[in-house]
Amino acid sequence: MKSDSKKPEVIDYHLVADTAMLAGEMMLVAGAETYRVEDTISRILKTTNFARCDAFVVTTGIMLTLEDWQIGTISLNRRVGEKQTNLGNIEKINDISRKYCSGELTLKETFHQLKHMNSVSYPDWLTYIALVLCSSCFAVILGGTATEFWVAGFNGLFIVLGRMINKKLKLNSFVLNLFTSYLIAFSSFFFQSTVFPKLLLEPLIAGSVMVLLPGMAMTTGIRDTLEGDFMSGSARMIEAFVIAASIAVGIGVGLSSCSAFFSFF
Amino acid sequence: MIFVHAIGSYCAVIAFCIILCVPKKYLNLSGIVGAVGWLIYTWMTDHSFNEMLNMFLAALIVSVMSHIFARWKKAPVTLFLIPGLLPLVPGIGMYRMVYYFLLEDNGGSMASYYFVYTLQMAGMIAIAIFITDTFFKAFFRLKNTAAK
Repeated sequence: MKSDSKKPEVIDYHLVADTAMLAGEMMLVAGAETYRVEDTISRILKTTNFARCDAFVVTTGIMLTLEDWQIGTISLNRRVGEKQTNLGNIEKINDISRKYCSGELTLKETFHQLKHMNSVSYPDWLTYIALVLCSSCFAVILGGTATEFWVAGFNGLFIVLGRMINKKLKLNSFVLNLFTSYLIAFSSFFFQSTVFPKLLLEPLIAGSVMVLLPGMAMTTGIRDTLEGDFMSGSARMIEAFVIAASIAVGIGVGLSSCSAFFSFF
Repeated sequence: MIFVHAIGSYCAVIAFCIILCVPKKYLNLSGIVGAVGWLIYTWMTDHSFNEMLNMFLAALIVSVMSHIFARWKKAPVTLFLIPGLLPLVPGIGMYRMVYYFLLEDNGGSMASYYFVYTLQMAGMIAIAIFITDTFFKAFFRLKNTAAK
C-alpha cells in the first residue's frame, strides 16, 4: 500500500450506510412521516455518489441499499418496533443530517453525534402536569366553566395513571386508551350525578380525552398520502381510526355502565 | 370570553407540546399557531358561517402559519402543524356520536349525523393540509428554478 497524499478522504461506505440507517431508525421511532425518513436516508446515501442508492421505508421497518460495481452492494434491513412520539428528536436529527449533507460535519462526527444524541425530553413531573393542564384547558375552550376546569383536571389524573401503568406493563395502546377513556367517562358521569348536578358532560369529556385523540396519526397519515406513499399513509389512517374507535368505545361503556349503576340504586 | 379562549387554547397547545417533547425554543410559536387557529374557528362559528368552511379556513391558516414558521426557524413543519391542529380535531363530534349511539333512545339518526359531521371535519382538515403542502412545494420549486 502506498500512501498517496492527493487521494481524497477515504470514505467508509459501511459507515455511511450505518449512519443513514441510524438516522432513519431514530426518526421513525420518534414518529416522523415515512416520506421524511426516506428523504433523509437518501440524502445521506447520495453523498457517496454511487450509481444506485435506494431507501424504502414503511411504518414498521427500513430497507436501504448502496450499489456500485467497484465496491459491491451494501444492503441493510431493520425492523422498527416500539414508537415514542418525540417531535424534538425529529428536529434534531434533521439538523444533524442537514449539516452532514452540506459538509459541516464529517462522517465520523455525524455518526458519533447521532449515537450519543441526548433525546429531547422534559422531566416526568412536567409531562404529568402538562397532561392535567391540557385536559383542563380543553374543557374550558370547548365551552366549560370553572367547575369543568377542575373536574377535567381530575380526569387528567387518570391519563397520568394510564401513562404510569403503561411504563411498567407495556400494555397494548388500544387497551390502554379504552381503559383511560372508560375511567374518564365514568368519573365525569359520577360527578354529575352526585356532587355537581349542573356539570356539562359534553365539554368535560370531550376536553379530557383530547390528549388521547389521534391528531398526530391523522396528520402524518395525510401528509404521507400526499407524498405518494399510500401504503404508510393508509396504515396511519387506520391507526388513527383504531385509536378513535378505542376512545369512543371506552367513553360509551363508561357512560352506560355509570348510568346503569345509578339507575340500579 | 375571547380572552378566556385565547389563553385557554394557548395553554392547552403548549401543554400538548410538552407531552410531545417539542424543544423549548419552539413552544411559544406553536402555542401562537394553535391559539390563532382556534380563535378564528370560534369567531367564525359565532358568526355562523358554514360549519365546513369554518373548519377549512381555520385549518388552512394553521397550516400556512406552520409552514411560514418552519421556513423561518428552519425546522420541520410537523413541529408546528401537529400541536396547532390539535384544538381543531373534532373531539366533540366524536363524543356526541358515541353519546347518541348508546345513551339516547332512538338516537341512531343523531349518531349517524355526528359520524358524518366528524368525517367532514377531519376531511376538511386533510384538504387544508393537502392544499398548503402542495402550494408551498410548488412555490419553492418555482423560486429555485427561477434562481437558476
